[in-house]
Amino acid sequence: MPEANTPVFRRAVIALNGGPIDSYMVRLALEVTRHTHAELIAVHVVELDWTQPLDADVATEEAQRVLDAAEGIAEVMHGKLESVLIQARDVGAAIVDEAAARDADLLILGLPYRTRFGGDFAIGRAVPYAFQNAPCAVWVVREPMGEESK
Amino acid sequence: MTAPRPPLHGRKLGDRRVVVDRPHSAFFRYSGPGTMIAKAAASTPTTAIGRRLARIRGFVFGKPLTNAQEIGERLSKKLALPIFSSDAISSSAYATDEILRVLVLAGLAWMTWSIWVAAAIALMLTIVAFSYRQVCRGYPSGGGAYVVARENLGPNFGLIAAAALMVDYVMTVAVSSASALANLATAFSAIQPYKVELGALVIILVTAANLRGIRESGNIFAIPTYLFVGMALLAIGVGLMNTVTGTAHHLAPPAFVEQPGVQAFTLLLLLKAFAGGSVALTGVEAIANGVPSFKPPEPKNAANTLIIMAVLLGTIFIGLTFVGMQYGVMATTAQGPTVLGQVGNAVFGNGFLFLLLQISAAMILFLACNTSFNAFPRLAAILAQDDCMPRQFAFRGDRLAFSWGIVVLAAVAIAMLYAFNASVDALIPLYSVGVFVCFTLSQAGMVIHWRRERSSGWAWRSVVNGVGAVLTGVVFLVVAYEKFDAGAKLVLVFIPVLIAMMMFIRHQYASSTRQLELTPGVAVPQPHRHNRVVIPISGVNRAVIQALNVARSITTDIRAVYVSDDPKKSDDIRERWTQTVPDVPLVVVESPYRALIAPVVAYLDVLDRTWPSEREEPITFVLIPEYVARSWWERLLYNQATKQLRATLLGRAHTVVINVPYRRDEARAAAAAAEIEPAGTLVAGDNVRNQ
Repeated sequence: MPEANTPVFRRAVIALNGGPIDSYMVRLALEVTRHTHAELIAVHVVELDWTQPLDADVATEEAQRVLDAAEGIAEVMHGKLESVLIQARDVGAAIVDEAAARDADLLILGLPYRTRFGGDFAIGRAVPYAFQNAPCAVWVVREPMGEESK
Repeated sequence: MTAPRPPLHGRKLGDRRVVVDRPHSAFFRYSGPGTMIAKAAASTPTTAIGRRLARIRGFVFGKPLTNAQEIGERLSKKLALPIFSSDAISSSAYATDEILRVLVLAGLAWMTWSIWVAAAIALMLTIVAFSYRQVCRGYPSGGGAYVVARENLGPNFGLIAAAALMVDYVMTVAVSSASALANLATAFSAIQPYKVELGALVIILVTAANLRGIRESGNIFAIPTYLFVGMALLAIGVGLMNTVTGTAHHLAPPAFVEQPGVQAFTLLLLLKAFAGGSVALTGVEAIANGVPSFKPPEPKNAANTLIIMAVLLGTIFIGLTFVGMQYGVMATTAQGPTVLGQVGNAVFGNGFLFLLLQISAAMILFLACNTSFNAFPRLAAILAQDDCMPRQFAFRGDRLAFSWGIVVLAAVAIAMLYAFNASVDALIPLYSVGVFVCFTLSQAGMVIHWRRERSSGWAWRSVVNGVGAVLTGVVFLVVAYEKFDAGAKLVLVFIPVLIAMMMFIRHQYASSTRQLELTPGVAVPQPHRHNRVVIPISGVNRAVIQALNVARSITTDIRAVYVSDDPKKSDDIRERWTQTVPDVPLVVVESPYRALIAPVVAYLDVLDRTWPSEREEPITFVLIPEYVARSWWERLLYNQATKQLRATLLGRAHTVVINVPYRRDEARAAAAAAEIEPAGTLVAGDNVRNQ
């Protein structure tokens, strides 16, 4: 018997990658949670390779700007948004771990429309990782195809 | 800028992440490379008393608005109409009276000429409104007559228009509040002795409403304006209907009728009637001043609102004059019923509608001052942008209103109320003189505008504006002549004084800009001047040592100066100084006349004179140690002499004055640390009381 009620989220984590889909995701999340007053957490992960220590001072102004832009959208839409900047070796694991640590019941990820050489769709590593490991619901927002891809 | 935290472990072995602190995010937001936007928290006061004051201010004036919210504060046509037109529309309530009071002097038979005089004024209103409509479109940044005159006749003519307008806006506030109270005083005689104080209170309330922002004040003031327009149109409509059906009969003469037939009917009398009725035009220019307050497209919306206002004003003015003529209304003295009152009584009787008409008229007369509260600050802001007024007038307050202009207008209007004891009779002659100066200048400016632009229809447009310029110029001369002895001469003094003041401010800003200007494209070389530091001290204490440490970061050429009127104490200070900072020379200046500041300045002069004349003058840094107590009232006990010294040195050549604060908390921490320091260290607070 399918549930008749719309699912209600208490806490959602939005993973931002600094791309054009970010503002769309933030607006969508704010709109979805407008009436439920769910807590929104924007997470941006700066990926570090193994040549640098995990606490290296590499989080640039640009990384800060990704989260500041999200906060700006929330302010304009009169919503509340907490922002978290993370340094990690693997983006997918960091996002899922942060969502789990915060007991989120929704994880929203953005996915750029990219194709590999040969034409196959490239889904990257973070989304499959989240699908396999996130304890909560996962939404993936794929950006629209470019004109040349259509 | 960021400080990473210890790593957090993930759900899988080896997964670790570090949350990076974002210390800026509470106060700022990055908007672009190297650019940050301050959040509201960055402007929040940090002290408890400051926060309390901010809360009170927020309650009285509303929450601060951001620049981005400015567009939301813009006015729609229906909200702009009452804000910018209450002055103009309210004048239709008494303009017919002004015509009849002159015509009656020639005899009752000549009173029928009132409709022709009103028609001529309506024609002039059409010309002026047409001209200002073009001003709205041609000069969308606002400023009205000032900008038109500045652009087409020259900056000094612009200043004449601006000064005339400003005087008139101040008078509008003073007259409307005084007349509102005069009306109230006839009903409640108990308030008669307190008219000035109540007038001031009324102005303060209108000021507070305007400081809440233009949109909010519009919401407050819209209802009375629309109520008056509705009631006046209803009265005219019923009056016309009665005229058509033949039920409009001449009324019995009211009390306080003006004495008829004491003068011959001459052209001058007719001109006087025309000039008297022309008060209907006051406030017409306000919309052209405030074009940027409108919602986009600003010029179009402003121009359309202006036309609506002119149509309403013209209809009510002509309508009341015509209907009044049908009912044979009479000109009365100031104590008698107005034309509006007589018409209302004739068409509605003494019932509820009559009462509503009178109440709405009283309210709009009172709210006429609100137009000034919107137009004056905006004009002052434009003048400030042109460096003709202090630049503070161009700053917007928490609610995006030009707070300085609003407050100054209120203050000057209250001063006028006090000066004239809130007497309407004394204030009226000063009113509506300046506005005709600016009408004339704007019309003349538009003639030149059309001739320069040569757009389609320029010839007939320039003729229309030329006729308007001549008409308004004649009205100005008649009004100034008629009211000269009664008080208009004061306006003719105020206007040149204001012009002189604005020219002086413009000269000052131009001169400072010239002095501060850098040669474009020339790289500024590193300075090669010698630096030296002088530290005036009041004793040997931690505040002085802190100043000394700052001095060491500037230069090695440091000396301390101690001014003393007690030789014994000087010896003690020198001894302690030599023990504590042996590498820095101390100059003790004995001051047998007990002066503290002058000897320090004289010492600096001596230092300058001993500097080799062939070398460039050094920069002298005067570092003033200051003990900063925690509370404001504690601070009254300290640093009085240092404040005097700082004020004295402010304009001194080649001298930089730096205050080096030493806060009480630092003093306590240092004192605590001193308990575990070896003997011989300083004791906190020693001598700081003497500073």
